[in-house]
Amino acid sequence: MAQESFLTDDFLGQLISVGEVDILVGVPTHNNAKTVGPIVETIQAGILKFFPRERAAIINADGGSRDGTPQLVESAAIGDAQSRSRQYALRTLRSITTEYASSPASGTALRTILAAAELLRAKACAVISPESTQITTDWLAALLRPAYADTFDLVLPTYRRHKFDGVLLTNLLYPMTRALYGLKIREPYALEYAFSGRLGSQFLAQNAWSEETARAGSEIQLTLASVTGDFRIGQTFLGTKKHVERRSADLVPAMRQTVGALFSSMGPNFSVWSGKTGSQPVPTTGTEQEFSLEPLRVNRKRLREMFSAGVAELASVFQSILSAPTLAELQRIAGLDEASFCYSGELWVKTVYEFAAAYHKSVISRDHIIQALAPLFRGRAFTFLTENRNGTAASVENNIEGLCVEFERMKPYLLKIWNGGE
Amino acid sequence: MWEMIVSELTQAMQELARGFAHILPRIIVVVIMALVGWVAAYLLKVIVRSILRLIKFDKLSENAGASQLLTKAALPSATDLLCRFVFWVAWLGFILLGVQALGIVGLQEQIAKFFLFLPRLFAALLILFFGLLGATFLSRAALLAAVNANFPSPRLLSVSVRTIIIIFVLSMAFEEVGVAEQTVVVAFGIAFGAIMLGLAIAFGTGGKELAQQFLERKVLHGRKDEAKEDELSPL
Amino acid sequence: MPFFPSPLRDDGYDIADYYSVHSSYGTLEDFKKFLVSAHERQIKVIIEMVLNHTSDQHPWFQESRSSQDNPRRDWYVWRNTDTGYGDARIIFLDSEMSNWAWDTVSKSYYWHRFFNHQPDLNYDNPAVRDEMWNVMKFWLELGVDGFRLDAVPYLVEREGTNCENLPETHAIIKELRHKLDEQFPGKMLLAEANQWPADLRPYFADGDEFHMAFHFPLMPRMFMGVKLEDRKPITEILRQTPEIPASCQWCLFLRNHDELTLEMVNDVERAYMNDSYAQDKAMRLNLGIRRRLAPLLDNDRRRIELMNGMLMSLPGTPSIYYGDEIGMGDNINLGDRNGVRTPMQWSGGWNGGFSSADPEKLYAPLIQDPVYGSPAVNVLSQKRTQHSLLNWMARLIAVRKTAGAFGSGSIEFLYPGNQRILTYVRELGDQKILVVNNLSNAAQAVELDLRKYKGNILIEMFGRNIFPRVGDLPYLLTLGPYQFYWFRLRRI
Repeated sequence: MAQESFLTDDFLGQLISVGEVDILVGVPTHNNAKTVGPIVETIQAGILKFFPRERAAIINADGGSRDGTPQLVESAAIGDAQSRSRQYALRTLRSITTEYASSPASGTALRTILAAAELLRAKACAVISPESTQITTDWLAALLRPAYADTFDLVLPTYRRHKFDGVLLTNLLYPMTRALYGLKIREPYALEYAFSGRLGSQFLAQNAWSEETARAGSEIQLTLASVTGDFRIGQTFLGTKKHVERRSADLVPAMRQTVGALFSSMGPNFSVWSGKTGSQPVPTTGTEQEFSLEPLRVNRKRLREMFSAGVAELASVFQSILSAPTLAELQRIAGLDEASFCYSGELWVKTVYEFAAAYHKSVISRDHIIQALAPLFRGRAFTFLTENRNGTAASVENNIEGLCVEFERMKPYLLKIWNGGE
Repeated sequence: MWEMIVSELTQAMQELARGFAHILPRIIVVVIMALVGWVAAYLLKVIVRSILRLIKFDKLSENAGASQLLTKAALPSATDLLCRFVFWVAWLGFILLGVQALGIVGLQEQIAKFFLFLPRLFAALLILFFGLLGATFLSRAALLAAVNANFPSPRLLSVSVRTIIIIFVLSMAFEEVGVAEQTVVVAFGIAFGAIMLGLAIAFGTGGKELAQQFLERKVLHGRKDEAKEDELSPL
Repeated sequence: MPFFPSPLRDDGYDIADYYSVHSSYGTLEDFKKFLVSAHERQIKVIIEMVLNHTSDQHPWFQESRSSQDNPRRDWYVWRNTDTGYGDARIIFLDSEMSNWAWDTVSKSYYWHRFFNHQPDLNYDNPAVRDEMWNVMKFWLELGVDGFRLDAVPYLVEREGTNCENLPETHAIIKELRHKLDEQFPGKMLLAEANQWPADLRPYFADGDEFHMAFHFPLMPRMFMGVKLEDRKPITEILRQTPEIPASCQWCLFLRNHDELTLEMVNDVERAYMNDSYAQDKAMRLNLGIRRRLAPLLDNDRRRIELMNGMLMSLPGTPSIYYGDEIGMGDNINLGDRNGVRTPMQWSGGWNGGFSSADPEKLYAPLIQDPVYGSPAVNVLSQKRTQHSLLNWMARLIAVRKTAGAFGSGSIEFLYPGNQRILTYVRELGDQKILVVNNLSNAAQAVELDLRKYKGNILIEMFGRNIFPRVGDLPYLLTLGPYQFYWFRLRRI
């Protein structure tokens, strides 16, 4: 029976018009009118500056915006009519938009972009998040060039960040991805990245596009797909990533997108990660990633309080997820005062691994498991911030490295509890 | 006179025998139905058991919190319980069918009523089961949301949610079964209304300032108060 | 190219006698015979006329340089220093360092926009203007039908300007045109002026200067469009092309006897053209590429047809460079632009049928390689082959002649989403012609918005088969690689 295509007729017609391209830049959006304008202008300028002779197109996969976001993206096109660009354009630049659904689902957005890349036979693609407000034309070139020159299949960014920026990344996503898949990928969840057409086609074909993957964080999935599929992964140093203020309410959605995606990837990819030990460095162009040290006002106290409150109130939930010794230890440290509070690396690793195993077995609703991890993460964040309060860039890097090694060292424990034997 | 007694007795015995012979086939039918029913009910129980195993019914009921209730009541596991229930209902059904063959008038009506009652009983049990499932899920969701949003007393909220849903579900189940329909409905209405009223008053008077702040933040898009945290970007 | 007596240091553009014919070509009588024969065949003859400069061997210059008091001294532009007119650019960058040259005879500098042996005439001198009109009159009286006036922008120089397109130059042209219309009505002036369209516009004035001008900027962009597989360069330049008086016409061309000039493109475009069409640096000359049409297009018959199709259907009078109608090749090892000026290949025999003289005596060697050499590419064999390029070109021209809209009609571009398709409608009165060109090497599908022409049946002009009628929906067309369609729109 013929399957209903998820590409609309109109979009397909536009793709036919665009024809074969060398470079494709995908921008998934949902109500991003505030930020997407300058980003798209930067993309246009970057293409004109660094790829003036290449055939290029911008594809916007929109999840039902009501604020005119798609029109902003389309305005970056350069056609027969005089364009707004001040730079001279040798050839046409197409910018087309499609609404893949009436509500956002990042997996479907990525799938749309991948489909376009495959149909247009793009050699290199970049995906730029509409929140990537710090992007410059040099960043775009640094990401696309290695993919276009066929040096790498997946190009991930590294940045100079504040030592306290991205604690979830440095304390969970990076160490765990590294321990599981044996590659030192600093930013497995990236707002901007590039990949070769080859990887895109493979990912599109092999990935089971179920309901769950349609909604889950697709950024990390592509990273995992290239790790498991033996593609060449490279990192490129882009520049400084400024600290962005966020509200505490953003933590759980962020965790759903990233940690949720990471955990759900573990089941299908068991055969890949179960055999890996240790980790390999990833080839990096440009400087190695580094930390900046400007003073940053942080409310650490609140983190610890939420941790303690969480441990107390969610005891019934934790009983289904954690082992008895781990839970007991957590309850013990929850009772400590601020000065002696310490959520050690080893305990944190155990916690995370037990959560991963519980997630795999679906002991309770998976979304609830992720939500339950949030207060524990806050406790760990508190310890991390305290330990590195006066740290230099090198010492912070060392601490993170130490945590990574801890994740790798305790991998057998994860394997033990994975299928039972708890 | 002796002959009269003997002949009356004989006649009575003959009538009894005749009556007995008349009814014997029917009794045999009942016995046969009972035996056949037993076999059928057993088969049905085995089938149901395998189905429940397949859909991991035990797991579901654990999630629902039904298992905990059962263990507390020293009852066997949910799967077992359901299988036995199915077995007994099936066997009873067959026996009753057989009894119907006896042709006792009043009994037939009652038997018919019994069979009509069964679906409603089953529906009520389903409502109860899924209601419990929902209650557990939602109460846990509320708990987690409250903890992560740093609400005070998240457990209170969680338990309230669970209680309200269970009361609601129980009322529905009772209404379905037809037990004290009106009473239950009215009682539920009163209880529910009272809780809501209480919450409203509590929130309204006690949480006046909180409500005000909440509205201000939502409507006027955040003035930051002094103690606002500078939360880090996790990513 | 000019056929006047000349030392031939610039292929005859250095004229030594305006009233005669170079002995290599023949005599004046030969020319008269040629004119008569051409006119008998309804062929009009336009000759090259170089107004701006003469050869330094011309008697006028010999006299002018001989002394400061000579009557013809003022016929050329003399200075004691070489610092005047500093804003004028050097045209032959590869060979000249300055627009001033030192004359050892008269011990002063003379002005030359081209080679140093081609001193510029001084058009501020009325005697010069009168004499040049006499020259033109001489040939007009003989019977020529018009002039291709070479290097017209440079006639007059003024301090503080770039010495191109000056108002005084235009005044002179107006004067010439006026005399022409008065004394020889029906004769034509064609301008060779390598300028942006906006700067070319003044040469039409109000229909009282040139009748025609070459559209230089369009030509490289047609090549660019085919390489980029993108219509943007072509539509862009045509949008910038101004309206011209109804009595005037653009002259379109793909190649000519000079290099494919890249003066009228920006640096990015020039770099792209050089990288695409002239990887071998020997092919590059004077900001241009000195190759013929067929070698430029990799001898790809489809591309050659497409380019000619566009040439014939875009607004203007098409001009075909000799030899391109059979797909002649070039010889970049000959110096300057001579590689594209090799003998015409008429047959596969002696000297390619060009001349019965000794091959060593030819003014330039014949092309000899197996691909483009005269045995492979010549008129005779192509006449005998039904599907040769020559016969195809003849057919193309014949079809073009069936619709006046190609020559005199308006043009309206359509902009379908597929940028590899260049499509426009030519309209004249009731005639409507839809032209669709596929600039790409791959088959393409395109949907055209023809709602304006709803109800029209499309009639393909070469086979005269009917295509579906235009309805409400977008009109879907598919084209093979480099294919083009000419449709007549007919409402019945």
